[in-house]
Amino acid sequence: MTESRNPGISSISQTAQAHPESCSPAVEMDPVEYTLRKRLPRKLPKRRNDVYVNMKTDFRAQLARCQKLLEGGGHREICVHGLGLAINRAINIALQLQASSQGVLQLAANTSTVELVDDLEPEDPDEAAEPMTRTRNNSAIHIKVFYPDPQ
Amino acid sequence: MVLNISVHGVRVQFDLTSCISLLPESVPRRSSRGRIALESPATQEDKEKMSSSKAKMREKKMKNQPSSVQYSPSTTQNGGGAVVSGGGQLMERPKTPHQSAGWSRGHQRDGGSYAKEMPKCITAGAFARARAAEVSSMLKAVRKTTGSCHVFGALPKHMRRRAMSHNTKRLPRRLRDVAERMREKSLQAGSKKKEQAKNKSRKARRRHGNLLLEFNRRQRKNVWLETHIWHAKRFFMVKKWGYCLADKPTSKCYRPCYRALSSHCLLQDLSYYCCIELQGEENNLLASLSQLTSKETGPTFAAALSLSGQKQGSVVMYRAGCYPLQPLGPVTFLWRPQSQGSTLRQLWIWAHPTMKKDLLTELQTVCQCDEAVAPPIVPIEQKLPVTPEDKQIAGTKRKQTVKDISGPPAKKLLGDGTRSPTTPVSWKSNCTGTIINDLTMEMVRFRLIGPQSHTVLAETLEVATKYGESDKLKPSSLWWPEHCKEESKMVLHQEQADAYHLLKGILSAGELPPGTVLGLTVEDPRLTLPTKKLKALPSVQKAQEVDEEKSRELMLKGVPKHCCQSSLWDRSVRDNVTENRISEKELNHLRGELLVPGSRLSPAPPQSSVPVLLVHQPGKQLGHEMSSWGAGWDLLLPKGWGMAFWIPLVYRGVRTGGLNMSLKHSQNKGVPHFPHDYPDCTSGALFQDEQEAELLEKFRRRPPAKRTNYIKHGCLAPFRCPWQQLAEEWELILIEEGKKKDSQTTRGADEVIKEETTSLRDMTAAKPVSCVSVLRCRKSLRLLSGWCRPTTSKGQRLCRVEKVPQLDHPAMTSFLTAHGMSLVWVRLLMPSKGKPELHAIVCAPTAEDLQLLDKGPGSSGPQEPLHRDHFKSRRKGSTKTATSSLPSEKSEGQMSHLLTASEEPKPSSKASSGFTAGLWPDPLPSVTSHCSRVTLGWVTQGDFSLSVGCGEALGFVSVTGLLQTLSNQEMKHRGILLLRNPTSLHYRFVKVTIEV
Repeated sequence: MTESRNPGISSISQTAQAHPESCSPAVEMDPVEYTLRKRLPRKLPKRRNDVYVNMKTDFRAQLARCQKLLEGGGHREICVHGLGLAINRAINIALQLQASSQGVLQLAANTSTVELVDDLEPEDPDEAAEPMTRTRNNSAIHIKVFYPDPQ
Repeated sequence: MVLNISVHGVRVQFDLTSCISLLPESVPRRSSRGRIALESPATQEDKEKMSSSKAKMREKKMKNQPSSVQYSPSTTQNGGGAVVSGGGQLMERPKTPHQSAGWSRGHQRDGGSYAKEMPKCITAGAFARARAAEVSSMLKAVRKTTGSCHVFGALPKHMRRRAMSHNTKRLPRRLRDVAERMREKSLQAGSKKKEQAKNKSRKARRRHGNLLLEFNRRQRKNVWLETHIWHAKRFFMVKKWGYCLADKPTSKCYRPCYRALSSHCLLQDLSYYCCIELQGEENNLLASLSQLTSKETGPTFAAALSLSGQKQGSVVMYRAGCYPLQPLGPVTFLWRPQSQGSTLRQLWIWAHPTMKKDLLTELQTVCQCDEAVAPPIVPIEQKLPVTPEDKQIAGTKRKQTVKDISGPPAKKLLGDGTRSPTTPVSWKSNCTGTIINDLTMEMVRFRLIGPQSHTVLAETLEVATKYGESDKLKPSSLWWPEHCKEESKMVLHQEQADAYHLLKGILSAGELPPGTVLGLTVEDPRLTLPTKKLKALPSVQKAQEVDEEKSRELMLKGVPKHCCQSSLWDRSVRDNVTENRISEKELNHLRGELLVPGSRLSPAPPQSSVPVLLVHQPGKQLGHEMSSWGAGWDLLLPKGWGMAFWIPLVYRGVRTGGLNMSLKHSQNKGVPHFPHDYPDCTSGALFQDEQEAELLEKFRRRPPAKRTNYIKHGCLAPFRCPWQQLAEEWELILIEEGKKKDSQTTRGADEVIKEETTSLRDMTAAKPVSCVSVLRCRKSLRLLSGWCRPTTSKGQRLCRVEKVPQLDHPAMTSFLTAHGMSLVWVRLLMPSKGKPELHAIVCAPTAEDLQLLDKGPGSSGPQEPLHRDHFKSRRKGSTKTATSSLPSEKSEGQMSHLLTASEEPKPSSKASSGFTAGLWPDPLPSVTSHCSRVTLGWVTQGDFSLSVGCGEALGFVSVTGLLQTLSNQEMKHRGILLLRNPTSLHYRFVKVTIEV
């Protein structure tokens, strides 16, 4: 969680803070520490046939959900989205869907880059430091799983 | 020989010959049949046999009965002998003590004497007279009713009917007259009482003015929020903290409410939170407030972003200079953005009502605001125009007199109307010029939680339109037209409107910078009230309309500083807006005059512009998962506008929640909830006492056989958590451990520990009684959290963490010297089965328990052996003492033997007077070593967590205990603890995490 500009010094400070009364100067010399807080990725309106894959839910449950949409739900196509770590899983789900349909389903994959926002909150005792925000990019995949048209 | 005697009109026929012939047997037989035996005077032996309750029953039954048959034959002198001897024939009989007075009948113990001394003859006259006396007393007994004096007491039980009490015709005719008379009597008595209750007809009572009067009367003790009536129709209301608050909905909607929290929007009325306003120089304010906070616990009032007014901050406040002891509680605060050329700052502190009083006194001392400013004379002014109205309404003379004395005005009370007008609400300091204002109930605060709260707000609120150019020159008593005249303010309004428009493009509340503030002037939302209740959903078009670049800037940098300004900060504006609110009636009237029914009212009346503040609430910020869960917006409104905003919000398809839902919200966020989880605050301690009383009462309401025997379950305190005792005991354990180490090794390094332990002992000796504190220092928490090896909720995956210093002996000792007596807030997750409950026990597992864990993930935890209830034998003993003293002494001896064997302090016998079966009486024995596993702490919130999908508990553990346990555990099993519900013997494994 804690990120520091200078990891070496900060780790000293962490051990040192256990004796707060004995070595206060060491704390003061410490560079500004920041706490990293990740904000949620940008949310877009969701259709019924959009499936956002995450790493928390059980894989089988997510697969079953997609199958249900395709078979029982009456959708000709669904979109499986995965961000970051979940890209693997999104691909996996799409391939599983295709395999279980005996090749009827077709896939069309797109990749994109999502801009994520992190908040950096200063942890300094003087509270003079400005909080910062930074952006970083993460990859995402959007796989369209669909029944091809008969033509 | 037949003798006929007429007694009270009843003819009794005696066949004397048969009497005589049967005489030897007749005496016992009569009694055995029980026909004629009227009253056998209970002998001493009988009374001994009879239990006390039986005797009481009997006494009650015999209340109206003749006590005994008295027949004193004047002719003879030898009492009982007269019956058989008659005349002057005296027969010497040994007199038993029972026969000494009067007559004795029935079966006698020495009844054999009859047979021996059978009379040779009887005198008919004397015999008949004796029988006559018997018969007359029998008749008397039959005529008199037993028990209650009600008429149908005279009826045998099988003829009584329930409906007889109100319908006399169901009684037999012979009893009707009496019953009728009694009924009249009771009616007369009842009508005297009822006369007072019956005063006005329902119609009169429901008349608007009278209804308001009644409402105001009912609010005298517990103030109502503005949305009270709406809530009272839909929620279970509780009277708490001087307010009437909604607890939980009457409909079953626990899961729908959770779903609203996590995917749509949940609305709560938080107006009961108290706002305290500080005004003064920035430096003075910061200097005085810094005494009440500590930077170790996180950003304080001086944090740069909060100070500029762009962000709402939150902080735990302590009594001046007392950190880390004596906290007051958590508060949120908001600085007013600095206006140009002014050094005066304004600060709002929002606090829970239970801590308001302490906070106010503390603020007064640190700001040296001891001079109470006399409240303005507004209340009297208010009264004057109202009184004539009152007199019109008041029809009866009686009511008028009541009103003249101290009648509240027949006007709906806004704000804290129960406060007496002379109570000061603001204090001023002479030296620094700081002013403290108590703004309790002066503002309405609604909270919208959930990702769609953003959409709901965007749909409900519309930026106020500028007031017409043509009317600009006219002076107006209203606030908005005056406001529109100033160009700079209008520019600001436009900028705020733009920012709000950008916000509309964002689809979820979790994407915003946490704590963002936006001031706004909005149109009365009643004007845009939809005709049907519809769920607000985000739309793609709105999102696409917004300029991408600008909205990105907004996301990164937040709302610009000057846009956080709002007119809501000005008291005069607030009051003006409150007074000039268009009433529902007027609004409907205006609507009715529209040409096209149902169309929008335009132009909007000038009264319909309201200054509001939108404050973003960050969601879950602690921990690694579910981040930003439960984020939302707070809506601050001037008072009086509550319902005007509430209904339009509800019409956007939000769910509403009460106190129960705020508890669940904080539980899912994993943060302590005030005042439940602040055992070191005074209000937290008070809450615990109340909770204990409540739970104990609930427990006692159950039939004794159905109660849980907590003693047998090895649960010392199922209804409260003796934190103080826990911390002290762990302190002692630490000292003993240190001693052991000293004896084992004689290295120089250990001398340090010895010194430390001795110093610790000195500390414990010197510390005041209530010194339990909760660890809130961020750095220490972070260190501790690293030692607990944070993982994801189900313990599957280790989270990425920076290098944490090794948990070795010196690190531990130094940590414990600083925070030895503290408790720490932990989150416990049950990876396998189980649902933790309130006050479940957190224990340290033994090495064997952890081996169980190796067997497989599905293996359940160990079992606690059933404890013995030593107090059961004591209870039996105590009942015995009443009858005889000897056996009780014996049981007492046994008891004390048992107690000393198990090394438990023996509570004095006097303590058992307030003793409840199944609960340990005070004082408690050692809490840590009571069970087979060492106790570390207790759970204060526990439930099945719908967001994690397993049992989740939140509570406190002793820092010392936790560190000792962690240091003894292998790396593989570090952070695994045991949890046991108070009503169960089964320990479950839990994963402990400390979230910073």
